[in-house]
Amino acid sequence: MTTTVAGTRASHMPLFVAQSWALVMRAVVRFVRQPASWIPGMVFPLLLVAVNSSAMSRVATLPGVVPPGTTFLMFLLPAAIIQGVMFGGISGGAELATDIQTGFFDRLISSPVSRPSILVGRLGGAMAFGAFQAVVFQLILWPFGGDVVGGIAGRLVLVVVAVVLSLGFGALAAGIAARTGQAEAVQGFFPLVFISLFLSSCFFPTELMSGWYQTVAEYNPISVMVDGMRYQVLEGFSWSEAAQSVGVAAIIAVLGLWFAAAGVRKRIAVGG
Amino acid sequence: MSAPILVEDLRRTFDDITAVDGVDLEVHDGEIFGFLGPNGAGKSTIVRMLVTLLKPTSGRARVAGFDVVSQSAQVRSSIGVALQDAAIDPLMTGRELLRLQAVLHGIGRKDGNERSERLLERVGLTEAADRLVGGYSGGMRRRLDLALALMHEPKVLFLDEPTTGLDPMSRLNLWEEVRRLNTEFGATVFLTTQYLEEADELAHRVAIIDHGRIVREGTPVALKDQVGSPTLRLDVPGEQYEVARDLLVQFGEERAARSGRLAVGLDAGATGMRDVVRALDEAGIEVLHMELDAPSLDDVFAEATGRRLEGAGE
Amino acid sequence: MALDLQVRTGGHRVSEGALINALVARSAVNLKRIPVALIPLVVMPIFFTVAFSGTFRGLTQLPGYPTDNIYNWMVPYACVQTASFGALGAAFALGRDLETGFYDRLLLSPSPRWVVPGAGLVWAAIRTGIPIVITLSIGTLEGMTYPGGVMAVVWLAVASIGVAVMGGLWGLGVMYRAKQQSAGGLVQVGLFVAMFLSIGTVPLDLMEGWLPHVAKFNPVTPILTLARAGFVGTGSWADIWPGLLSIATCSVLLGWWAQRGMKTLIP
Repeated sequence: MTTTVAGTRASHMPLFVAQSWALVMRAVVRFVRQPASWIPGMVFPLLLVAVNSSAMSRVATLPGVVPPGTTFLMFLLPAAIIQGVMFGGISGGAELATDIQTGFFDRLISSPVSRPSILVGRLGGAMAFGAFQAVVFQLILWPFGGDVVGGIAGRLVLVVVAVVLSLGFGALAAGIAARTGQAEAVQGFFPLVFISLFLSSCFFPTELMSGWYQTVAEYNPISVMVDGMRYQVLEGFSWSEAAQSVGVAAIIAVLGLWFAAAGVRKRIAVGG
Repeated sequence: MSAPILVEDLRRTFDDITAVDGVDLEVHDGEIFGFLGPNGAGKSTIVRMLVTLLKPTSGRARVAGFDVVSQSAQVRSSIGVALQDAAIDPLMTGRELLRLQAVLHGIGRKDGNERSERLLERVGLTEAADRLVGGYSGGMRRRLDLALALMHEPKVLFLDEPTTGLDPMSRLNLWEEVRRLNTEFGATVFLTTQYLEEADELAHRVAIIDHGRIVREGTPVALKDQVGSPTLRLDVPGEQYEVARDLLVQFGEERAARSGRLAVGLDAGATGMRDVVRALDEAGIEVLHMELDAPSLDDVFAEATGRRLEGAGE
Repeated sequence: MALDLQVRTGGHRVSEGALINALVARSAVNLKRIPVALIPLVVMPIFFTVAFSGTFRGLTQLPGYPTDNIYNWMVPYACVQTASFGALGAAFALGRDLETGFYDRLLLSPSPRWVVPGAGLVWAAIRTGIPIVITLSIGTLEGMTYPGGVMAVVWLAVASIGVAVMGGLWGLGVMYRAKQQSAGGLVQVGLFVAMFLSIGTVPLDLMEGWLPHVAKFNPVTPILTLARAGFVGTGSWADIWPGLLSIATCSVLLGWWAQRGMKTLIP
């Protein structure tokens, strides 16, 4: 097992790391080779941001929405990243379901591969893609006015949140995949997440909402995370705001991992 | 009465592949016409052209007196079709499909319902009629497909590989049903198959098709007579193969056989076997296995094309 | 070769009306049998109405926004959006029929070729009843007004049915050529892009940047204006006729394109 992993100094690493690395690489390569799994995650969020920032750019003129000198596009930048991460995470989960359906999963668990590596491999791929998205989106939107007041530090915060959130979404999707073994069930998760993004400060300031909708949106943990990211973009770098974002993402990640691990354990126990 | 099916120089190409390469045929009223050939020979392509689901590249065809290209709607109202992949909707019940078929052919509701019940009984699906077709077995689907083909009581019936994939019992039942349609109802049946016994059993006349061309045509008896002599098949040890071969061809012409086996047509007929055995014995050839076959349609095919129709059939 | 020979045909003339009825009934029964397919039909209008109105309520504060009741703006959008997505279900059903080979059965009917796809479009039009009822119900409960009276609902229905038919023709054109269910994604993308690059959230004169240049030429834009004619304003003819023209023109063009695609079924 250790010596057949391409491109690694496998024989010098502990087994778990080598196996995880191999599975991460596999996840990444598979992902890259199937454009249908990553193109929506790259194109759709950018399209959404492009359209909404153009359509609703005047929202920036309403009092208190964004600080002077910033644009609605900057307001929407965290939303693009979160959406992209969401797509990527769900694609990754669907991939795991496919592995289960094709029997590759069974092959893995009947091999000497350590159980945690299986999950780490899958999720490592999702995290890599999340980082990639966060970087690329920022680069693409920069020339169009997608500036980040918090500078490099602020930008880094966005990437870190993206990576941690990828872990969380990916894990949740993997948990569903492990329990159902069906890619369709994982895809069905997508609308639910999308709705929860709407019921937050992701696409529009909660100050401009009203009634029960506003209440739900304000208490939505995603709003807390988005607000922290948005602070980096619109106001400047802040440790506390960064911690807020990363913290919420981390909680999602922990819950997701627990959910995924339980699901994988159940599947192995039931017999794949 | 003119021929129910008349085909003149029919051709069909797909990009640079010629699937049907100038086919002429005429099917007589009230006969079961068998179209026999291996996979990829062009059988289904020809059927699809005759039932107006595919346009010919060139040539003419008339079915039930109507041109398949310029009078396709009239053709469709005159024919019943059961295709190779049973064309059914898995989300409907058998009864629903029959009733829809009635509407598709302009049969009124009352009449359509009555016919549906009769047809269900005829193909033995009355009990399963209200189950979703997706749960039917392969045999049941074929039977339903046949019932659908018969809804509007067509005089010309096209059956494209109707028993492929069926178990032997279902196959026999379907043969019985086809014979009944022909004798009791007078339907002209155009049947394509890759099974030589099917053509042999059912068809009044057979056309053998290979690579898009008809290579032989006639009644099964006449075709087999043309091949004439019985085939002697022989297995010998590998090192004696060439010697045995040289010896055998003195008794008749060599015939196609699967690899490693020898086959020769005995000019002298079955009685010539005695001389063959003696000659083999005198030459010290060890006979591992020997059998004598009366000519079959497979032999007809082999004689025409140099290949066996049922490759594994030996 | 005698053309008048007495070959017994079915002898029956196919009634197009009866056939369309039967095919629509089949679609309805199929929907019942895949209940999952009902979910988008019911959930989408609810989601769009509630989420768009709830999230973007603040848009009414923009100077020059055509209405101060966000539901008057968003409900027609949600309705039209969902109606267009109904085409997706029809496209998947067609893809399924093509994959199972059942479509051959339909093609073997002596009926004129337009009847079978026509039935699909009739079904798409009938199905728009669901989003119309749902979106209007939610909107009314939330205080939506009807400045155009009954005609407001009429124009909304016309716009929704128009978009359902257009979406249906788009789906047919794609499916006839692709001949498999997996092409449903392409149908979806087309519908989504058409709906999205238009006046969904704000009117043209409030947009900035690149979008208004695209939305101006998007045939969906006048249709959305038509849908909103009686809700944002009182339904003046100037708001109505461009939408009607767009529906008619697009239907003709897409119909021609779909019909070309159908020819590939019998190559």
